[in-house]
Amino acid sequence: MNFISNSTGSFVNRSLAQMAELRAGIDRNRAQIATGNRIERGSDDPAAAAQLRSFARREALSNVESDNAAQLGQDLGSASTELEAVTALLQRARELAVQAASTPTGPDGRRAIGFELQQLAEELFTRANGTTLTGEPLFAGLSSGAAFTRDAGGVVSYAGTATIGAVPVAPGTAIERGLPGNQVFEFDLDGAPSSAFAVLGGLAAALSGGGADSAAAASAALAGIDAALDTSSRAQTILGTRLAWVEQVQGQQADRSIALAERRSRVGDADLTEAIARLQQSLTALEASQAAFARVSELNLFRALG
Amino acid sequence: MPSAIFSIGRSGLAAARASIELTAQNIANAANADYSRRNLTQSELVLTGSIGINAADSLGGVRSGAVQRSESALVQRQARDASSALAAAQTEFIALREAESAIETSGVFTGLVNFEAALTRLESNPLEPALRVVAVESARALAGNFGIASSTLASARSLVQGEASAEVLGVNELAAELAGINRDLVGVREGTSGRAALLDARDAALRGLAEQFAITPTFNANGTVDVALAGTPPTALVTGAAARAVSIAFDADGTLDFAVGGASFAPSGGAFAGRAAALDQLAGLQSDLDSLAASAISIANTAQASGVGLDGTPGQPLFTGTGAADIRVVLGSAAGLATAPTGSPAGSRDTGNLAGLLSALGSQTGPAARADTLLLSLSSRVSALGTRADGLGVVAASAQSELLRETGVDLDVEAANLVRLQQAFEANSRVIQVAADLFDTLLALR
Repeated sequence: MNFISNSTGSFVNRSLAQMAELRAGIDRNRAQIATGNRIERGSDDPAAAAQLRSFARREALSNVESDNAAQLGQDLGSASTELEAVTALLQRARELAVQAASTPTGPDGRRAIGFELQQLAEELFTRANGTTLTGEPLFAGLSSGAAFTRDAGGVVSYAGTATIGAVPVAPGTAIERGLPGNQVFEFDLDGAPSSAFAVLGGLAAALSGGGADSAAAASAALAGIDAALDTSSRAQTILGTRLAWVEQVQGQQADRSIALAERRSRVGDADLTEAIARLQQSLTALEASQAAFARVSELNLFRALG
Repeated sequence: MPSAIFSIGRSGLAAARASIELTAQNIANAANADYSRRNLTQSELVLTGSIGINAADSLGGVRSGAVQRSESALVQRQARDASSALAAAQTEFIALREAESAIETSGVFTGLVNFEAALTRLESNPLEPALRVVAVESARALAGNFGIASSTLASARSLVQGEASAEVLGVNELAAELAGINRDLVGVREGTSGRAALLDARDAALRGLAEQFAITPTFNANGTVDVALAGTPPTALVTGAAARAVSIAFDADGTLDFAVGGASFAPSGGAFAGRAAALDQLAGLQSDLDSLAASAISIANTAQASGVGLDGTPGQPLFTGTGAADIRVVLGSAAGLATAPTGSPAGSRDTGNLAGLLSALGSQTGPAARADTLLLSLSSRVSALGTRADGLGVVAASAQSELLRETGVDLDVEAANLVRLQQAFEANSRVIQVAADLFDTLLALR
């Protein structure tokens, strides 16, 4: 007589192992549903976890970069606003110079014009030392001090640096903060270095002095004012271009962050529908195997003999 | 001969009763995993007497033979080897998974990314005191995260070491027990219940030993077993009634050294091989983590040295320390962050030096990339070990169930046996009844 024995212990062990496996699967599914994450720990899916880490780093950096871009946009906007005012101011100065150069304006009129030009020069100086919303000088380059200083003799000179530095706004893209003041207010006039301050200040002084040649001085100053206008409107164009660039970068940042979020979700998020369906399936299987275990364990010869 | 019928019936009764006792023993031990089911061998008893050429047979009934234990050397061995392999993989898996959580949840990678982000934000406005403070504080958080990673790794290591120290006592106990069983087996008679119980204890001890170390047992004819530990070199643990002591020691980096009876040895399987492998891996992880911290320290301090702070003075070191355990922020004030390159005046908004630091931190060989690689290789290893442990678990479970099928108790079979033996007992008592009737018939002859 030879038959295969099926030990009771072996049956119980096998059933327990199968039920434990089902329960572990249910627990995994439940955790996925509760956290919304497909991956609980790196070893669940090492490659996906590494991708998620690089997404997280990219996201953290692009948040900062978009903040940087927003601030850069504000700074460039402030500089542009100042320059707009400067251009208007220089245009007014040109009108006044033309007026002063014309013969009908008498010495008193020229003195009044000289006085107004003095005020304009003062305003120009203030605007050139304008600051950002956070109090940094707009036109001082890399320096944190005032962009232009005026000595005892009233001579205005540039105190900043010749470069202004750039702000990173995207991987591999850095946009310059603005323009250093020497490129906005200083220029060459007839081969000699000059500045908007020198031109305006010189004309105002000549007119206020009320000398006989003040009309001639006014017409001579026109070339200087034109050069100052040229320089400032060129600077405004550059700032406008940079501002447009920043806006474009911001648009790209928004697109990229959406794409990044989508990819992160595809890699790391649990598919709720699937997780719930799987949970239901596992629950059914567990219930069935528990019922089957109870039924089969009752199929015992002792019971039948009892 | 009526008296022969009596003795035949009595021998049958005795045999049936002994068999029922054994069946009851089997049923009682149905849940005992170490128990190997028994049965009773029986043989016919015939007495043959001869005088000259005349031979006469006299039937003597049945003789209860030896208590037989279902032996299954091959299946036992399969179960032992499978459990050695499973224990090795599982121990290593559990230890490394702990290390994985330690490094993953300590946030070293997140800390590095936050530090990088804070520095990038500082680039937009390097003179803003709040941004400077945030950058220095994120460096402090990073140093803290390194400390947490290092200490949780150390605690994962000490857990494995503590377990090893505790389990080695169990191994030595099992070896001593096997030596004692060997001694007792020499003296016990073949075919007795006592011997079967000793053999059960022997197999249980071997299984217990196999979980901790891969073993090569040599079974002798008298049932005793000599055990050698598999490894380099293979080393005898139990020889006859003598057992040698296993001892372990930990190196400075936490790795495990073994010695059996004073001679050093490296196991090839079992939970101890898994622990040794896990401790090796943990030591490697610790040194990787330390070199990661050291590279963060050196990158930050090199950048500091090549720039000037807010006040135009040369940058002072940001971090101090040599590894993950002792990395600290030493920069006294946030104004000391060297954002501008050397030669810049006080209050310069130049971020050249900061950009250099950022590109060193974010480069393909920078700390963030290295932390990512470290985590990726660790989690890949853990995932592979998990798969291996799962596979070996299936193998071990099937070997275990094979073993139970060979040696375990099947309650249905025992129930059937019980019925059969009860009937045999009744039948034998009937035989005695018949013998008594026959005897009475004879006595009643007048």
